[in-house]
Amino acid sequence: MDLTALQARIESGGRLDAEESRWIYREAPTPWLARLADFVRRRKHPEGVVTYIIDRNVNYTNVCVARCNFCAFYRPVGHGEGYVLGFDEIHRKIEETIELGGDQLLLQGGHNPDLPLTWYEDLFRGVKAAYPEFRLHALSPPEVLHLSRMSRLSTGEVLARLMAVGLDSIPGGGAEILVDRVRKLLNCYNKATADEWLDVMRQAHHAGLRTTATMMYGTVETPDERIEHMLRLREVQDETGGFTAFITWSYQPEHTERGGIEATGLEYLRTLATARIVLDNFDNLQASWVTQGGKVGQLSLAFGANDMGSVMIEENVVRAAGAAYCMDEVEIVRNIEDAGFVAVRRNMHYEVLGEPVFRQRDIPRVLALATARAEGDTSVPAELANYEARSAAAKKQRARI
Amino acid sequence: MGSDVTSPIDQDLAARAAAGARLSEADLALLAAVGDILALGALADDARRVKAGTAATYVRVLDVETATLGDAPLEVPEGATEVRLQGLPPTLEATVAAVTAARAAAGTRTVSGFSLADLVARAIEGWGDLGDVAAALKAAGLDAVADVPADRILDLPAAVRPLLEAGVLVPRVTVAAPVPATGRVDLLLRIRALQDATGALQACAPLPREVPDALPTTGYDDVRFVALARLALESVPAIQVDWVLYGPKLAQVALTFGADDLDSVSPFDDETQGRRRAAVEEIRRNVEAAGLRPVERDGRYGRLDR
Ligand code: SF4
Repeated sequence: MDLTALQARIESGGRLDAEESRWIYREAPTPWLARLADFVRRRKHPEGVVTYIIDRNVNYTNVCVARCNFCAFYRPVGHGEGYVLGFDEIHRKIEETIELGGDQLLLQGGHNPDLPLTWYEDLFRGVKAAYPEFRLHALSPPEVLHLSRMSRLSTGEVLARLMAVGLDSIPGGGAEILVDRVRKLLNCYNKATADEWLDVMRQAHHAGLRTTATMMYGTVETPDERIEHMLRLREVQDETGGFTAFITWSYQPEHTERGGIEATGLEYLRTLATARIVLDNFDNLQASWVTQGGKVGQLSLAFGANDMGSVMIEENVVRAAGAAYCMDEVEIVRNIEDAGFVAVRRNMHYEVLGEPVFRQRDIPRVLALATARAEGDTSVPAELANYEARSAAAKKQRARI
Repeated sequence: MGSDVTSPIDQDLAARAAAGARLSEADLALLAAVGDILALGALADDARRVKAGTAATYVRVLDVETATLGDAPLEVPEGATEVRLQGLPPTLEATVAAVTAARAAAGTRTVSGFSLADLVARAIEGWGDLGDVAAALKAAGLDAVADVPADRILDLPAAVRPLLEAGVLVPRVTVAAPVPATGRVDLLLRIRALQDATGALQACAPLPREVPDALPTTGYDDVRFVALARLALESVPAIQVDWVLYGPKLAQVALTFGADDLDSVSPFDDETQGRRRAAVEEIRRNVEAAGLRPVERDGRYGRLDR
């Protein structure tokens, strides 16, 4: 490949084809990739701003029947450590989020066969009644598919019902690598094939929802399959324009069935830089400090990222797999400014909300991310008695409430 | 690097820096002010390649707390090529005893230990002449002083000479506390002057070792300082990053911003020392993923052919 010609094309806003994309990822020198990714970021965001969001990452249940072999978070049905958060617990988390200046929950969970669609509808309705301005960025495509299968409704109907009670946007989780060969090996083909994942996103975009897109790399896929993943996202984005951002992170292997070793920091930065160049129709790329740590998270801003993601407040999934980094708003802003950018708070739609909250009022420092529940809390929310359980274990448990 | 058009660095300066030439204070002030860390990193990477090629060295060190020496017999794992004593005992006699014990367990491996700043302070407090202290430690088996914190010692050559005269090696300078951006060129020039005066240094580890938890250095800070150290210290063979203190991710990235040596790699082959104290395979994998060639070295900076 002719690096100079590729560079000229990228600099003039031209698009790389599949072969060129594969080649730059595999072969291009890291400094070259970084400089070009930085160039593309500056072209898209010439104002020198780096954004972030204050929201809380809440996992409403860890009970899951999907059993992805890369996941350290889930517990099978009937497991003693399985939990479902109560509506009041979720409301309390929202209040703590608002106190820290946040305006949204990123709400995702396992595929729990004992939570029917009506549970989600009641939850969303209740949240919106209590906190009308609060946003629900909730339920990744595999969760929507799971609800569709459980309720025997189409995914479009599930989305419509959830939107009617307050769903604001959809997170791009569950994408892993959008190549079915890989999905079969990761045991996540049944939860959603690549086409199914993309179709849910298409439907959501057509229904007026904005969504993010993600990629978890570093399991069994080849570098070329990572590029295929990016190209499939690029195709849908051409069609709908509905993705607000792309977020990639490395597989976290600790405590998972699959095991293995984590991809290195430079591999992360190369993947990010390549995504910035290949995903020419995505405006925003987030830094994954929660998997890479604050330092490589910050360095992401030199490798194509224009967003430091979320302060998170709470995190359960990555922590279960061994990573436990924390950055509160003060730390995120310090890192953004130290890298020479202006820090701006945003919402999920990347609309500017203003300057950092901690500069406007006193907010408590958060030096460790919260967990879904305190250790040893095995309480069962009383309202679960109102919902029909499918599994024998949950039926028994609910009979005791 | 194919995008010189976007580099903010003057071409003549860039050419000299990339070639590993000696840069003036004014040159270094210009480079320290460059906001574009990718441009700075690319120059440092070029300068590093001039000196070290594609090799990245690492050393497997057994850290021994002197306070716990004597609790149990000191066993040095086979993988260690350096035994490093941490924590200066309260008396010279106890320090000599600690070195003697380490020497006995270490065999032919390098025994290093202590901070020169602490030794200087103790000498003033009553241990006696620094040269005599160094001679006593050398006689007990100390090969090298572990840390020379350049930011804690005002007259570096004056502090280092008595050790060298006693036969104690002074292979590396370190930095104790985070250095404000405005003080970095000064500090690096003092280190360079030490090397000019003594020729003793094998490495500089520019990243601070005592960082407040509430205010850690940032990734930009770290790689910028590593790159600047590489460009300022053309006469010092290696720029070093501590694998344990800085973690695999930052340490690996630093290898592409001018660093070429990884310190404090665990001598144990399992991960009993915790997640970040990874075994040699982890180091080698990270070095190779950075496009470099891992080379083990010993405590005297000699390359091993394992
Ligand atoms: S990744 Fe999600 S769907 Fe897969 S097992 Fe974990 S919780 Fe379940």
